[in-house]
Amino acid sequence: MSPETVTITVNGSRRTATAGGHLSLLRWLREQAGVTDPKYGCGEGVCGACAVLVDGLPVASCIVLAAQVDGCEVTTAAGLRRPDGSPGPLQRAFHRSHAVQCGFCTPGMLVCATALLAEGRPLDRQEIREALHGNICRCTGYGPIVTAIEAAQHELAAGAEGGAEPS
Amino acid sequence: MTSQEVRRSKADELSVVRQPLPRRDQAEKIAGTTRYAGDVVHPGMLRAGLVRSPVPSARIVRRDAGEAVKVPGVVAVLFGEDVPHNEVWVDVPGQTIEVAPLKANMEILATDRVRFQGEPVALVIAETEEALTEASERVEVDYAEEPGVFDPELALADGAPPVHPQGNLLARWDIDAGDVGAAFESADLVVEGTYATQPVDHAYLEPEAGVGWLDDEGVLNLRVSTQVVQHYRDVARILGIPEARVRVIAPYVGGGFGGKEDMTVEPYLALAVWRTGREVRMEWSRPESLQARAKRHPMRMRYRTAARSDGTIIGQDIEITADSGAYAYLSALVLLYAAVHACGPYRTPNVRLRARCAYTNNPPTSAFRGFGGMQVVLGYESQIDEVARRLGLPPGEVRKRNSLVKGDVLPVGQVIETEVLLPQTIDAVLERAGPPPSGSGPRRAAGRAIASNLQSYGRLVWLNDAAAAWVGFEPDGSVRVRCGVQDLGGGQASSLAQIAGELLAVPADQIVVHFGDSALNPVAGTTTATRQLLMSGNAVHDATAALRDQVLGAVAADRGEPVESLRFSPGAVTGPGLRLPVPEALALCRRRNVPTEALGTFFGPKGVPVTRNLRSGRVFPDFTFGTHLCDVEVDLDTGQVRVLRYIAAHDVGRAINPLSVEGQISGAVVQGLGMALLEEVVLDEGINLTAGFFQYLVPTASDVPDIEVIVLESGEGMGPFGARGIGEPPIGPPLAAVANAIRDAVGTRPTILPITPERVLACLPSTRS
Amino acid sequence: MYTRAFRYERADDLPAACAALRRHGEGARVLAGGQSLLPMINVGLAAPEVLVDISRVAEAREITARDGYLSIGALVTHRELIASEVARAAQPLLGAAAAHIGSARIRNRGTLGGSLAHSDPAAELPVVMTALGASYELTDGRAEREVRAEEFAITVFTTELQPDELLVAARVPVLGPGWGWSFREVSRRRGDFALASAAALVRTAGGILVEARLALGGVADRAVRLAAVEAALTGATRDEIAARVGPIEGISPVTDTGASAEYRRHLARVLAVQALEEACARSEGTVSGERGTVSGREQ
Repeated sequence: MSPETVTITVNGSRRTATAGGHLSLLRWLREQAGVTDPKYGCGEGVCGACAVLVDGLPVASCIVLAAQVDGCEVTTAAGLRRPDGSPGPLQRAFHRSHAVQCGFCTPGMLVCATALLAEGRPLDRQEIREALHGNICRCTGYGPIVTAIEAAQHELAAGAEGGAEPS
Repeated sequence: MTSQEVRRSKADELSVVRQPLPRRDQAEKIAGTTRYAGDVVHPGMLRAGLVRSPVPSARIVRRDAGEAVKVPGVVAVLFGEDVPHNEVWVDVPGQTIEVAPLKANMEILATDRVRFQGEPVALVIAETEEALTEASERVEVDYAEEPGVFDPELALADGAPPVHPQGNLLARWDIDAGDVGAAFESADLVVEGTYATQPVDHAYLEPEAGVGWLDDEGVLNLRVSTQVVQHYRDVARILGIPEARVRVIAPYVGGGFGGKEDMTVEPYLALAVWRTGREVRMEWSRPESLQARAKRHPMRMRYRTAARSDGTIIGQDIEITADSGAYAYLSALVLLYAAVHACGPYRTPNVRLRARCAYTNNPPTSAFRGFGGMQVVLGYESQIDEVARRLGLPPGEVRKRNSLVKGDVLPVGQVIETEVLLPQTIDAVLERAGPPPSGSGPRRAAGRAIASNLQSYGRLVWLNDAAAAWVGFEPDGSVRVRCGVQDLGGGQASSLAQIAGELLAVPADQIVVHFGDSALNPVAGTTTATRQLLMSGNAVHDATAALRDQVLGAVAADRGEPVESLRFSPGAVTGPGLRLPVPEALALCRRRNVPTEALGTFFGPKGVPVTRNLRSGRVFPDFTFGTHLCDVEVDLDTGQVRVLRYIAAHDVGRAINPLSVEGQISGAVVQGLGMALLEEVVLDEGINLTAGFFQYLVPTASDVPDIEVIVLESGEGMGPFGARGIGEPPIGPPLAAVANAIRDAVGTRPTILPITPERVLACLPSTRS
Repeated sequence: MYTRAFRYERADDLPAACAALRRHGEGARVLAGGQSLLPMINVGLAAPEVLVDISRVAEAREITARDGYLSIGALVTHRELIASEVARAAQPLLGAAAAHIGSARIRNRGTLGGSLAHSDPAAELPVVMTALGASYELTDGRAEREVRAEEFAITVFTTELQPDELLVAARVPVLGPGWGWSFREVSRRRGDFALASAAALVRTAGGILVEARLALGGVADRAVRLAAVEAALTGATRDEIAARVGPIEGISPVTDTGASAEYRRHLARVLAVQALEEACARSEGTVSGERGTVSGREQ
């Protein structure tokens, strides 16, 4: 095994730790960098629980090697707060809309919803649902999550500052 | 006022309860700081994993860990002989020795036989995941495959290979009420139907996981994703140590739905900790979980329904066969639920029911939201829908005609003691729905249907269910609640804060709920059976009411005022001419030796144990009733079904937190739609072909519409403030709502789940060119 | 939980990657997007000893249109292909098909070369490449060769690639005005593997079909081009397409947990007709929108 060491900027902090060559980005974040909000849900990139942003784009961290993103910027759900640490429009909308029950899908949902909103295309509820097809939730039935994203979209479009952008 | 009267307070008197308050745990979950069972990672933690049987039916001929222990980083490999008490026993209630053992046993690690693919045979403990994987592959186990049986009806036939020595019939329940023969003789219409449901997986997003360690007292601690902290007792028995020396902590659970009701990682983590003395972590992979965790009981149901020409149902003749899989787990109880619920929310004076469940070499089946009471919805709601169609009567009217009312008696002998708002739920969904859908093109057919149900809440009454809670004031007036409830995300813990807050006029941010710790919190029982609001909710309610009365009583005695004139207001005890800040009232209590805390225990309703012939009367505390409406569109070329619209109405008694109630309903409906249309554990002679999320299809946001929820409040539930349980009831109706809607769209009824596009095509008159 | 270790080597460029493949021999696999390979490793379906990572090399990332061909580098991600104005102008069928691949997360990492080399019989890009008559440029680091798409895929997960060869680019002939296109797919859920798919290109003149290309996915061990159906369509009007497409020959669908062989066979005809009709309508200018519809909704 090659003890590959990688340096990745995680939620704004440069972190250097061994990646063992074979370590997925998910395992590297959770076990080497101590960032446990991306979750293991399936190991195949299907469920969305492990979603993180790499240089602004959402990826399934369980099927990306840490070694492949050496030198990149990674943002997890925990890093989606505003610079002052307060929740942005998306997080507040999730809270108000009761879009969280067990919460295990929530970090991945927030990451993917953030990326979706950052694309800037206005989306209706059906389009939001279709864009979220890659994020499994077993608890909420999805309606409240769609409502939260819709609400955040309105707030962002109305000119609130970009609080949901990665810090 | 009795506790019961206090509990059923009028809606307009409540100020904290019934508020759609966002829950505190949601803020942490959104911030990503919640530490689930698998989120605790320390350097030096050992890793544990299981070696599982790849075959469904075999004798174990040889087991050898010689090569495995040579792998660098391996600490130990354990087999069954290394487990102090290598068995767990499960009750098989209500059965006689002729049918099945009154207890069924299962090994923690299989020694000489494996009975399902995935059965654990060895426990490997290593320093790293990589060493664990490599060592697991080097554990040598030789299997001599033996004939297995994979269908419960075949298992019950003569000559079937016995899965267990005593034979394959695990449990049976019979109901004979009235005179079924006469009913069918006199019927104007007899409808026959055979229905089949499939095994499905809980597919909670958090796979089974946990961490174990020995604390400074040498107590074995397990912090695991579980619905039942009481398993500390089973773990203690397995290790042969006193129960008080095991502690189970349940953090926030990433989904349970019944799949974490039985032990999963607990015994293996415990063995690893006990054997090594070190901190150990265990996480199951998704393929492992999909392959080996207990599933929902597949059921085959044959219904014959006798009706009069006005739509009155006068008789049901029902046969149910369920697959218990390789081990009993909770199968006898699941079958009991199916039997009790099999006639639905309707008055049925003449019933013959025969329910069986059989061992097979399929994966074991056990608890899953709905617990046998939901599979039968496909049976009884398809049947009544067909009765209405053949008689040319509106489906809603036929259901209303037959609806149970307060005071009616179920075939099993249970009296319905609370108001039944079934007709109102039917009217509510039909009114909300408006005009029926039409197809969006020439090759599309649209349809609409309803489905009603009843589902019990609270555990079987002879189980002597109880829950306890401790509520206490801190000197500054903030409140601490200790209750062993397990929080799966349904607001189980925060509902308790709302209840306590209502009675003490304390805002939510001044109440802390300590939950899910078997050592530090009074035992509240399982988070299953839609029981927590009834049980721990009432326990907290009663403890808080007692605390309130203690404090008000002390103030009343001190001031010479009648206690009835005093109440808690925000921040103070108030009365005529009196406003005493709470901290001062508490100081007054201390001066007068009045405790500022209280322990309350709520005992569930009681009843006698059932016998195999179910006529014993009360089985459950109560039931929740509801009706769903579903609009579908069918693609006549491909058979694909799109759910256009879905409305769900339930009488929840009292909505303690309306957002939580809507969330439970919405989530349960989507799980039901998944079972109706997509999900299936596909087994080929006991080999699981769907052990990955590419093959096991869970519904996504793109597969379901907005679930419109209508909440009715009769105020007559048995929970706090008149609440009914709502976790399980909404999961059953989707099975029939979708089937009935497709019947409405294309004229033929799907009877086998899941309703795949292929099965829909088979329902169509031949449209293929 | 199951965790397999392997060695990792990052290649600086494609020739270095080819050399590494030669050096490591049979136990080596190529890592580009990893969206097919890494899931297989995670669940134990693949156990390579070495991964040679080409995901960071500078080459093979361009999309250019020149001399009547669209050239797409093998390391172009599906997201980049969908977003490319050059690709969309030259051949919208490509982006329309790629939009069906997995989720946004998968499309952000998965590559054209990876999809073509993996050669899943239900994958979208091999089907459209086959319908388009594309060809692929391969390299072993020392020399290049060109292979036609129809000959590149041999069977399930097996292609013409030699153990030390890599895909460099796909060359797609630009068909020019008058051609309409369509991609139709049926899957159990959005983003799932196709149970069956159809890619069609049709050129009409005066309401008559002059030329057609049709390829199906998910109904054989690789994408199949249906030359017999194409021939039978010459001279048809749009309304006559359904009648002219007879039973689909030359396919061999399988039964799995997603669908039975019979259902796939049924879908083959349904989707072929739908795709041909839609392509015909586009050729006649009666369907607006470059992206068209996917199962009734725009991507």
